Amino acid sequence: MLRTVKPKNARSKRALQARESKEIEDPRTAIFVKGTHAGEKVNGVMKDLMALKRPNAISFSKKNVVRPFEDASSLEFWAQKNDASLFVVGQSTKKRPDGMIFVRTFDNKVLDMCEVGVEKWIPMNDFKTAKSTPGHKPLMHFASELFDSHPRFQQLKSVLLDFFNGEVIDGIHLAGLEHVISVTLSPTPETLNNATTTLSSGVSLESTTILPKVHIRTYTIRLLSSGTRIPRVELVPMGPALDLALRRHADPDPEMLKQALKRPKLKKQDVEKGLGKKRKNMEVDEMGDLRGRIHLEKQDLGRLQTRKMKGLKKGREEDMDGESGDESNEEMAGKRKKMRAE
Amino acid sequence: MDVSDILANHDAKQKSIIVEKEIPLDIDAGYLVVTDLTPADAESYEADLEEYLTTTARDGVQALIGSLFSLPTTSSADGPLAQLPPPTTQLPRAKPLPKPKPPTKWERFAQAKGIQHKRKDKKIWDEEKQDWVDSWGWKGANKKEERQWLTEVPANADVDHDPAKIARDARKTRVAKNERQQAQNIARAQGTPKDTPAPVVHRKQEIDRTLATTRTSTASMGRFDRKLDGEKKLKGVKRKFDPTEVSASAEKSQNLDILNKLGREPSSKRARSGSNDVLNVRKAVRFASKGKGSMALARESEGGRGKQRGKQ
Repeated sequence: MLRTVKPKNARSKRALQARESKEIEDPRTAIFVKGTHAGEKVNGVMKDLMALKRPNAISFSKKNVVRPFEDASSLEFWAQKNDASLFVVGQSTKKRPDGMIFVRTFDNKVLDMCEVGVEKWIPMNDFKTAKSTPGHKPLMHFASELFDSHPRFQQLKSVLLDFFNGEVIDGIHLAGLEHVISVTLSPTPETLNNATTTLSSGVSLESTTILPKVHIRTYTIRLLSSGTRIPRVELVPMGPALDLALRRHADPDPEMLKQALKRPKLKKQDVEKGLGKKRKNMEVDEMGDLRGRIHLEKQDLGRLQTRKMKGLKKGREEDMDGESGDESNEEMAGKRKKMRAE
Repeated sequence: MDVSDILANHDAKQKSIIVEKEIPLDIDAGYLVVTDLTPADAESYEADLEEYLTTTARDGVQALIGSLFSLPTTSSADGPLAQLPPPTTQLPRAKPLPKPKPPTKWERFAQAKGIQHKRKDKKIWDEEKQDWVDSWGWKGANKKEERQWLTEVPANADVDHDPAKIARDARKTRVAKNERQQAQNIARAQGTPKDTPAPVVHRKQEIDRTLATTRTSTASMGRFDRKLDGEKKLKGVKRKFDPTEVSASAEKSQNLDILNKLGREPSSKRARSGSNDVLNVRKAVRFASKGKGSMALARESEGGRGKQRGKQ
């Protein structure tokens, strides 16, 4: 659809190379789009979410006619143009008031979608407390057993994780852990419990059972000295407080999901570090070399090739021991041998 | 020595940071996530929602902070960095995995020889100026020969020996060679493009072409040779004959064109003799070389000058 841009100078070439896929990815950029009618609540929620998501957030200023569940082509176009892979579409209709749709993409195509409705919202400005520095990584806390068992909540957890904390990093400065986003579910209603126990999935689940509400709260972390190395944690409410209700969703295409979950192969350094324990019989010794083990079968000593001494043949009168004394028989039978791997 | 106080003190401190939960919290330090799988307590939920949310969050975060502060740290310029382990939850990627690029010709050679990649510094020390100079770019050290105001030139140099031009041309050829090799690398990495036919088809086309040439390489241009079974009919140029009855004016103009062509100087000779108003070059060369030709003349003059150069 889009014409491929050929770089004319070094700067545009670098910009194009920055957009290519990498082994370890950059955090996902989110685009906040407003539908034909958004409303004050949805506008405010999107503003607060963007404040939490900065700097990897783009906000479209104009209203767009976009219906993600019917036609996702405009989303895919925006994804390619802006090099973004997350969308938050805010729309408020009579049937679905104050709705937000979280859309994830893979390879500029829609992967999965999750629609929520905002029931209660307290803006960040209403909390007269200190805020965290924008750009710092938040800690995340999910509290409910449904995040492990129910597919819709698993999807929600995955989407929220990807939204706030999707980047894989090596190290973090502990003083920079300033805020935490806590997602809690209301107590599971009985109907849901029974439904999940009697084998799940199916249209019946969605239409008949009511899913518990989602509470999202943001707190700043205060670390108090506790006498030990680990400080005591106190939370101070900071950011927006949201109460959401799950509405529609779109499951990912299993083929696309499989492609998206592919991981790069482990490199030699990682194997030496001890990861990828599937590769057995390899270890790194004290000198830092990678050593492998080879297991041999037990050797049949009766069929050893020895020096033939006529005098020892049966039938001769002299009685001598059958010695081996041969250099070729240095292999120790049946024992494991350690050999140097390259 | 009563250590029970000390122990009691220690326990009290530990109590403030230890979190007790029936189901152990699932901590993923790689993504800084903690998941609390205990079902929500309906009573405390109904009683005071915010209080319940804050306490559950505090417990979870305490456990997460505990694990984060127990991680090994490396020191860096900004302070101690905790080394995070690789994450346990799998999140889908945004873009597909990059395809591994095949190594280029130089990369293969360097790998085989064990050559390490040395990074060139942007600034290099210039002894003359006693200052740091860029090694390339605007006012770069690689253009020193071109920009210097004085160049020593040997005495037997040509009149129009331009050292700046020579240096610039050398640099430009190096750049052009590099770009050509980069293009070759890219082409090799992509493989053969779709336009060129497969090697089998390509070879077949070549064979057909050779066969056609051989068939016409006979005394009668392949017209009276016996055709073998399976040989394709050769495509030839169709001769076009004018009709026998042409209009008188057309015939007249055609014949006059022929006569004009005969009287004209041939085009190749005309192109060569561009300036013959003052000097007839051909005659001058014949006179100067005593009938031998321009090549002999050039060789003679070159030899003389070359000999002189060699002496010095």
